Amino acid sequence: MKLHTVAVGLSLGCVLAFSACKDIIEIEPDLQRAGSPQGFSSLDEHEFALTGAYALFRAPAYYGNGSHTTGSWASLPDMMADDLVQTTEDFGNWGTQANWTYATDEADIEMAWVAAYSVIGQANLTLRNIDQFAATDAKRVNRIQGQALAIRAMAHFDLLRFWGESLDRNSAAKGVPYKTTVAVEDLPARLTVKETYDNILKDLEAAEALLSDVDKVLNTPTNRAYLDQVATQALLARVNLYTKEYEAAERYATSVITALPLADQAAFPGIWKDTYPANSEVIWKVTYSPGEGNVGLGIHIGSVNRNLFRPATHLEGLFNQANDVRFAAYFGSRATGNNTPIYAGNSTPASGGPIARRIVTKFIGRANVVDNLLDWKVLRTGEMYLIRAEARATQGGTKLVTALADLNALRAARIRNYEPVVIVGEQALLNAIALERRKELFAEGHRWFDLKRTSRTITRTDKEVLSANTSLAPAAREWAWPIPQGEIDANHNIEQTTGYN
Amino acid sequence: MRKVLLVHLVLILCLLQQAIAQDRTVTGTVKEAVTGNALPGVTVLLKGTANGTNTNQNGQYALTIPAGQASEELALVVSLIGMVSQEIAINGRSTIDVTLEADTRQLSEVVVTGYSTQNRREVTGSVATVAGREVALTPIGSFEQALQGRAPGMLVQANSGQPGAAASVLIRGRGSVFGGTQPLFIVDGIEVSATDFSTLNPADFETYTVLKDAISTSQYGSRGANGVVVITTRKGAAGPTQLNYSVQYGFSTLPENRLRLMNSSEKLAYELANGNPYNWSAADVERLSAIDTDWTEVLFRTAVTKNHSLSASGGNDKTTYLLSGSIFDQEGTVRKTGLNRYTGRANVESKAGGFVFGLNSTFGYSEFANTYEATTSINVPLNAIRWTNSYETPYDEDGNYTQTRAGQPNALELINENTALRQQLKGLGNVYVAYDVPALPGLTLRTNWGGDYTSNESAVFLDPMTGPGRSVPGGKGQLTRGYNRFFRVTGTTSASYTHHFGADHTLNVALFNEIVKGSGRGFGFTGYGLGGPFENEAGITPGTATNGFIPAVNGEGTKHALLSYFSMLHYGFRNKYYLSLTGRRDGSSRFGLNNQWANYGSVGLSWIVSEEAFMESMTNVINELKFKISYGSAGNQAGIGDFQSRELYNQAVYNGVNGLQQAQLANPDLKWERRSTFNTGFELATLQGRLRATVEYYYARTTDLFLNRQLSRTTGYSSLVSNIGSLENSGLEYALEGELIRSNDFTWTANLNFTYNQNKIKKLVGSGDNDIVNGVYINREGEALNSFYVVRYAGVNPDNGNAQYLNLNDEITETYSPADRVLVGSAEVPFFGGFGTALKYKGFEVNTHFSFVQGNKIYNEDRTNVENPAFVGDNLAAVLLNEWREPGQITSIPRSSQALRSSTTRFIENGDFLRWRNLMVSYTLPQNLLQAARIRTVTVFAQGQNLATWTKFLGFDPEISTPELTGARSRVPGQLAGAQYPALRTIMFGLSVGL
Repeated sequence: MKLHTVAVGLSLGCVLAFSACKDIIEIEPDLQRAGSPQGFSSLDEHEFALTGAYALFRAPAYYGNGSHTTGSWASLPDMMADDLVQTTEDFGNWGTQANWTYATDEADIEMAWVAAYSVIGQANLTLRNIDQFAATDAKRVNRIQGQALAIRAMAHFDLLRFWGESLDRNSAAKGVPYKTTVAVEDLPARLTVKETYDNILKDLEAAEALLSDVDKVLNTPTNRAYLDQVATQALLARVNLYTKEYEAAERYATSVITALPLADQAAFPGIWKDTYPANSEVIWKVTYSPGEGNVGLGIHIGSVNRNLFRPATHLEGLFNQANDVRFAAYFGSRATGNNTPIYAGNSTPASGGPIARRIVTKFIGRANVVDNLLDWKVLRTGEMYLIRAEARATQGGTKLVTALADLNALRAARIRNYEPVVIVGEQALLNAIALERRKELFAEGHRWFDLKRTSRTITRTDKEVLSANTSLAPAAREWAWPIPQGEIDANHNIEQTTGYN
Repeated sequence: MRKVLLVHLVLILCLLQQAIAQDRTVTGTVKEAVTGNALPGVTVLLKGTANGTNTNQNGQYALTIPAGQASEELALVVSLIGMVSQEIAINGRSTIDVTLEADTRQLSEVVVTGYSTQNRREVTGSVATVAGREVALTPIGSFEQALQGRAPGMLVQANSGQPGAAASVLIRGRGSVFGGTQPLFIVDGIEVSATDFSTLNPADFETYTVLKDAISTSQYGSRGANGVVVITTRKGAAGPTQLNYSVQYGFSTLPENRLRLMNSSEKLAYELANGNPYNWSAADVERLSAIDTDWTEVLFRTAVTKNHSLSASGGNDKTTYLLSGSIFDQEGTVRKTGLNRYTGRANVESKAGGFVFGLNSTFGYSEFANTYEATTSINVPLNAIRWTNSYETPYDEDGNYTQTRAGQPNALELINENTALRQQLKGLGNVYVAYDVPALPGLTLRTNWGGDYTSNESAVFLDPMTGPGRSVPGGKGQLTRGYNRFFRVTGTTSASYTHHFGADHTLNVALFNEIVKGSGRGFGFTGYGLGGPFENEAGITPGTATNGFIPAVNGEGTKHALLSYFSMLHYGFRNKYYLSLTGRRDGSSRFGLNNQWANYGSVGLSWIVSEEAFMESMTNVINELKFKISYGSAGNQAGIGDFQSRELYNQAVYNGVNGLQQAQLANPDLKWERRSTFNTGFELATLQGRLRATVEYYYARTTDLFLNRQLSRTTGYSSLVSNIGSLENSGLEYALEGELIRSNDFTWTANLNFTYNQNKIKKLVGSGDNDIVNGVYINREGEALNSFYVVRYAGVNPDNGNAQYLNLNDEITETYSPADRVLVGSAEVPFFGGFGTALKYKGFEVNTHFSFVQGNKIYNEDRTNVENPAFVGDNLAAVLLNEWREPGQITSIPRSSQALRSSTTRFIENGDFLRWRNLMVSYTLPQNLLQAARIRTVTVFAQGQNLATWTKFLGFDPEISTPELTGARSRVPGQLAGAQYPALRTIMFGLSVGL
């Protein structure tokens, strides 16, 4: 009787508030979704995961900016080369990369490594067991699977560009691990550069085929935010240029150019304000909305007017400053101080002379807003012309003519009153194409890799910070980044990049 | 459940002990001598027998005396913990009323030991108490800061001098690397969040009890590992209504700054010697040298603190109540910052028959105005005062804010134009019902349900004209509004049974069920495009595709639950030997299915040595001597996410489309950290109780530490939170308390406590080189937690001005190499304590208290900025004036053209300090003066807080702040990371009146 009272009293504690005691600790999260070891159970979830993979491209260490990281595949490759100059206004947060003083414990390098593999991991989650839906909804599966494969290939290619000890197609030097499964305990070894390329091309080619047969159109004429078939072809063109498979590069570039021609002179400057001409120029961009981060903060922080990197004087000198629409779109001047106006190109204040402080104006903001909120343009038709021109010129023979035509066509789209030029000789033409690449793709994340795949030499003639290094020789270990120390510590199968041991 | 059943069985045996015999009955009421209140729970025992009973809630008892006992020899033994026991001959009476007096000896002190109350004699564990009245008047917004140096084993480090800021509290050393280390705080049986003490009124608190060892903390199971601070609130007493009013008014000022920066002429000379970055002409230098702004003075002020509190208490023998209200208005020493707090409380208890009903409730409303600290970002006023050149002025000739040449923000503009406001509403309360089962004297059923409710509403405004207001989307100011609420229910239901059998045995057994369930939600928005007439929601410009003003919105939420069954047993033999046993089984929503439940238990023994016959000859020397020993375990589940064991996906948005992004990997094996503690000690009273001492030794080992097991980064993750590793804390605690002079008019008392704690990591993830290096910190097996791991700085080579370092062979080298890093001490405090003294002469009283820490190191990151010559454009420390300029120059500052290496011993400093924490001088008017005015008591007082600090640390304050109680930054303690809001130095004047 009395014990009964005790028991009732105790269980009352639960019963008063809950139907059963054990339910109290059976709680599911409301604002997150718990996963299961089996993976997703609906195609909707695969599609959700694909969206998550795209979103990861915005991460600070990929295209975005964090307090101590700048978009590793956005403008950092230009900061590490010779056309952007570190100023005395710089916080020095990227000094180790910009001056090639990195060691294995460099945090930014680890962040870049993790950022790319996070994208890959999310793509692999998207792909895991998606085939189970192939029978019922084939075209939708194609659309999701194709994009995820393209994303996976691209992130691996970006890893290879920084960490690959060589960028040659058949090199036996160290490449990067290629991840195709969801496996937390996996301790992968580095593939050779050749094996890495094999995987990249396999995924990209599969993606390109899958994306040719999908259930709906991925992009709209002025908002090309997804890797559709054309964008995948553009990636294939880029990879094939690096691998020196020029015929393939030319072929893919041609497909893209046909689908998405160059923007005209009137429309081109608007692209850097996110005003997109329909079905031209921009092949794939990573979109940024308010609250999703910013781009280009490592170069010029528009809001507080801090100019961390400025355009090199010699680079600006390469432009036909009066007539090249790129000049006023890419460069400008701005005095120090709060909310001071930006003067595009060589324009000057109504009163007073030119302002000496030169800034990069490509990533300032939409419309007239100075907040570094813009989409990141990953693939542009301008690059496709340069890929095709380089691929044709290298193949030589009659293709030298079409290569020159590509170069002239690009220039004609950028320079007012442009008179086509004649360049004689393959090397002279290649030099002209390389120079045009520096101008066209300035600060878009190409320069370091272009040097790496060609001369492997940097000589800086323009420098402002006394401690900046000025030259990097072809044999320098720094052409390939070190595997982050955390990876080395956790993964005994992985080999350090040559020279960092 | 097996353990619970076992205890049930014990209970049955107890019930069978009840003899059934009825011959004659003695009844009566037991009261307290001073207040006349009825005393429930008093043991009334027939001397020399097991026959006894307890008084009910009205203090009444009825004891049956079997026939056949020689009545002239019969006597009652009436006892209650905290009271002097009495032996009363029955002498044939049938009604015997008893009045008990409070026992003032140390071992008779009543101690709240968590779920129960014990006589200190019986306590087998390590329990320290601080009386609420000792700290009630301290002019500090968050009460735990007032406990600094008051209790042995408890290290309280103020995070900040910002009014209302919460402190970091560590009991017996840091027992976790990644998990939470803050103790569990319980107010009237209800768990309260440690971050929100500033909306509670410390004057409402009766006692603070610090539970330290396993027998004391294992009753809290999976939340007890970091120790427990149990707080009880004041209760009313029967009698006429007593009103108390106290008012305080005073001033706070900035403490001394020991990091001297350059003045204008020094800085200009330095710039000229180092490249003249602003191309000053001779005329500029002359003009600017005349300006010498002390930016610290610009930002700081003499701040006013006001404090009013009013309470009323009273009642009759059935119902007692306490009502209180308070207003606390504290300005911060940084302009515009401060705390406004309003609280109210009602505590009511009522008795009816065998039932006791009670309600303790408080609400509080606080308004905070804060500024940023513990960050190295620019655009923070507390950094700007360090980094802005003193030749800059806050205003230009036209009265506008100046923009500095170096691009540093104008600290005054930031603090005046940008605001960070927060309103907090807090409700904390519990209701309880206790019932003495009449059929079985000694059995009490009790249930106690309460909640801790907190809501915060915040408004952070960035003026479009300021730097932070420009660096936002759209570039024209920002308003962030946020709201969050959190509610935690704690419900405890228990049955406890107390029985005496035989003359020698006392037994108390209690069974408990407890539920703790918390959930919270929050949301907010950030709007842009301000700068018009409104600095609130009305001023937000609607976003369009092109203006950049599209607002951002957010939401968040959390929930967790704990379900527990536990049991406690206390057994006493001959008032000399005591045994305590605790067992608890906890199930938590936080852990994986594989380890959702865990068991904790402990055992403790105490022995009153001075009661032994062999000590009898020494009772004049050693009045009381107690030996105690305990061992057991408690757990820790704080510091990890609510769903840490689960694979989780977050919302992801790309191109306006919703999706899912994996945010966490699963670890179904995740479980509690477990801290096993061995404790032993002596409690001693000598010189007729005028000198009392406690010495304790403890050894605590935390196993199953939450650590990050490293993963290949090719998973997209760097690590997975897992239970690996162990660490230990061992130490000694001393407490001394003495009455040096005791006479009718004059008393002089002094007290001292100190703690030595040694912290050592035993096991980390993996084998071999498994150090966890994080910046300048290292966690290495065999070493103290959070040790500093840097290269030793060895001054400057006089020939070339290069910085020199010691390599691992103790040779001087000019090459900086991380391979030469060594351990140079830890951020953990090994030695700390406090001491104080009080003098009382008639109505005058002087009471003072000091606290100290010694032996810890601090990494002064602040100096790595102001001693970095690369920042020549900004203001720098004056020591750089000594930098190496010419061959042969002997100095400790390298040439400016060499890049600064900040991870060296140059920036590691000793954290030692001694702080004059509090001085209180008061005068209580003599009674005879007041009687005519029908005033019960009047006291006038003045007090000083943080009057002086003795330290060599180069900064405002050696009590180093960490930005959050939990979270990433608090895991690297002992680092002055930029902006510091120093502790307030406050002088208050006050008056207390009682009617």
